[in-house]
Amino acid sequence: MTTNQTTWKRKAFEAAAVLARWALGAFFIYMGLKKAMHPEEFLKLTRQYDMVHNSFLLNSIAAVLPWFETFCGALLLLGIAVRGTALTLVAELVPFTWLVWRRALVLQALRAIPFCAVKFDCGCGAGEVHICNKLAENIIQILAACWLLTGVGRAFCARHTLFSVKSGKV
Amino acid sequence: MPSLKSEIRTIVVEAAIVVIAGLGVGLAANELSPRGLALSRNYFPGGTNQAPAAPRPVQAVPGPAGTNEASQAAQISARLRGKGLQELKRSQVETLFHDPRSRDGRIVFVDARNPDDYQEGHVPGAYELDPYHPEKELGTVLPICQAAEEVVVYCTGGDCEDSDTAAILLQDCGVPGQKVFVYGGGFPAWKAARLPVETGARNSGIHSQ
Repeated sequence: MTTNQTTWKRKAFEAAAVLARWALGAFFIYMGLKKAMHPEEFLKLTRQYDMVHNSFLLNSIAAVLPWFETFCGALLLLGIAVRGTALTLVAELVPFTWLVWRRALVLQALRAIPFCAVKFDCGCGAGEVHICNKLAENIIQILAACWLLTGVGRAFCARHTLFSVKSGKV
Repeated sequence: MPSLKSEIRTIVVEAAIVVIAGLGVGLAANELSPRGLALSRNYFPGGTNQAPAAPRPVQAVPGPAGTNEASQAAQISARLRGKGLQELKRSQVETLFHDPRSRDGRIVFVDARNPDDYQEGHVPGAYELDPYHPEKELGTVLPICQAAEEVVVYCTGGDCEDSDTAAILLQDCGVPGQKVFVYGGGFPAWKAARLPVETGARNSGIHSQ
């Protein structure tokens, strides 16, 4: 393989990573703002997961999460603390995907329909969605966030890493 | 070259900063947003903060005709009883709507759905009351409900509990419980029965049916 081919491949790889960062950032901003515009609807949807029964905690989740997602999306789009943000999104997406999957299983049992035919509003900001599409979408997002965790997508970043690691110290 | 351990530590510290900053931004944005939630308020009074036991079916479960509707109606009745609310069936609501008292404000209809749904169509003459942002309409609606003999609250039926929340809110604000009723079937049942529907603002005079 020639040096030119290697350079071209590296550039294409980096460009794909930047696009993935922008796409993930834009997606979170869009979904976050959609939820933030109707927090009471998001509150009702959050309640369906039976995560917490304390009204203060439930309200806090419904009030903060949409803006939190918007904030994380903005960080990714601007390229600030990219790996920390990616880790935060993975930590949010994995349990949320599990909750959605669990909820879908309950609905499947109640309606006696195939798993992929289950359609409901999971509180993701996109209204009613088919569960298999939602799970696939979440897995793609988790993979994209994991990819960013490896340190790719540094081009057009305002501050990719908050700390410079030189001597192994934060 | 930083070691893997220090790389991981950097990412975790960065994530912690993102989380703390994100929570701060979220709390501030919620506080500043006109649509923000009041954190200390219980938006689901009269019960726990647990979700309804049975979710709204999107696709019918195979079974004898009417089984689904009957079981859903039973669930709504049980939910309202559990909250100490009185339920009205469609025929009773229709009777109240045609009662002459509804024209002089002795029977009042309250729409607890969101403003967009209200604009698209509501029971003619119904007052709008968003139970999640009661500060908008409560000042107008409360004296009218206090003066009325019967108050019928509705939302979108099924597992929609906004009518319950609005009914409890009215009771909490001093409207006697014995004159507050919830129309369990909600607006979809009203519309399905081809009863009159008013669009736009209250008393706009624009009727779609």
